[in-house]
Amino acid sequence: MAAERRNILMDETARKNYIQGLTLLKREFLGPTTADLQLPGPPTPISTYDLFVVWHHYAMETFTPPTQGDRNAAHRGPVFLPWHRFMLVLLELQLQRVLNDATAGLPYWDWAADGEEPAGAQPSSAVWNEDCMGGEGSPVTTGPFAVDPGDPASWRVRVAANVQGQLVQANRGLRRALGQNVADLPTKGDVAAALDLDEYDRPAWSTQSQGFRNRVEGWRPLAGAPGLHNRVHVWVGGDMLPSSSPNDPVFYLNHCNEDRIWAAWQATFPGSPYLPDQTAPAELRGHRIDDDMYSLLTSPVTPRQMLDPSDFYTYDDLQVS
Amino acid sequence: MQMKREELSAGATPDAIVERVTTGEVQLPSQDHAHGHGGGMESVREATYRGHHIVVHTTYRLEVDGIPVEGHMGVTNDGQVHYHAVPNLSFASAIDLVRQLIDAFPDDFKAGGHTHEHGQGS
Repeated sequence: MAAERRNILMDETARKNYIQGLTLLKREFLGPTTADLQLPGPPTPISTYDLFVVWHHYAMETFTPPTQGDRNAAHRGPVFLPWHRFMLVLLELQLQRVLNDATAGLPYWDWAADGEEPAGAQPSSAVWNEDCMGGEGSPVTTGPFAVDPGDPASWRVRVAANVQGQLVQANRGLRRALGQNVADLPTKGDVAAALDLDEYDRPAWSTQSQGFRNRVEGWRPLAGAPGLHNRVHVWVGGDMLPSSSPNDPVFYLNHCNEDRIWAAWQATFPGSPYLPDQTAPAELRGHRIDDDMYSLLTSPVTPRQMLDPSDFYTYDDLQVS
Repeated sequence: MQMKREELSAGATPDAIVERVTTGEVQLPSQDHAHGHGGGMESVREATYRGHHIVVHTTYRLEVDGIPVEGHMGVTNDGQVHYHAVPNLSFASAIDLVRQLIDAFPDDFKAGGHTHEHGQGS
């Protein structure tokens, strides 16, 4: 039976399962060390949760094609949505394993609902309550992901990108700075504008494209950038800013909502295909419909294999705007 | 071509993940940005106009407190500059970009001086 993904503010079971599952994955060490992943410093066991942080960073460091420095294996191009769907499905499978519940689904944060509130009220949303994601700070001091200096098992950032763009070992608390880099979250009107676009993507298949994917990723319209996905990362700030952003569990709530918006778009435009197809030139390798997507943890899958996730999960509500 | 849960879950067991990560099966990108792949701080923009092929090479050299900042930086055809370490942002001004880096990486920019290291950090 497929999992059902639910609103984290509307479903207490989904919220508790998510927090418990992530805590278990953060404390699970299957065997890989930082040396296996070519991270500098002494070899240190790396948790299952942190393997996903490393994967995201390395996908971002893999340029597609390697002769340019814009599109990468997970961002700034068409593969953005299917790659993150793949990542979330894999995390969801791990959550289900440690919770021993094959129906446990990732929750989503409907940030556009909070975006309808005045900017000054947005950091007071229930998502930042102690029984949900906790609040802000450097480090975060409230909620399930707060660091306790006296408790080595409390939530700590163990791998993080530095200013040179390298992933290095760390040992510190999670950081957030809500509303410090941009004043407000995206609104339902912003989401509705994305859903008006009937083409998935189009040339130049980049941050300058006018299609749905680039609108959801948040590079267009330029005057409103950062938009949607990007804006949520930037609004949360702290550890949500660098390529190691999966360090913050809010990362998955954000991407689950973008995946929900994509699912809503797919339902609205069932005849609008994923683009580019496989006849596109080799310079788009990694983004075409039957190309392997960059995978650290399992054999790769293709964008086509992620277009219909209904055997993995469904959403409780596709009313996104 | 719908993917079935069983197809993916069979390859996502703890044993399968460990084998894939520890046997060097996956090609990991180099982290040596200053001297490695992707052209470092050089950005190449290309366009075609009235049958003419335009190529614009741009090289950035960033320093903070006299110390180089050497991650990937690029500029897109609309003139926006971006830096790989803050992947959700682009800027009209490279100076604004560096200001954001100083805010985003407090461990690399301690008060009173730049402290970045290539290696162990945070």
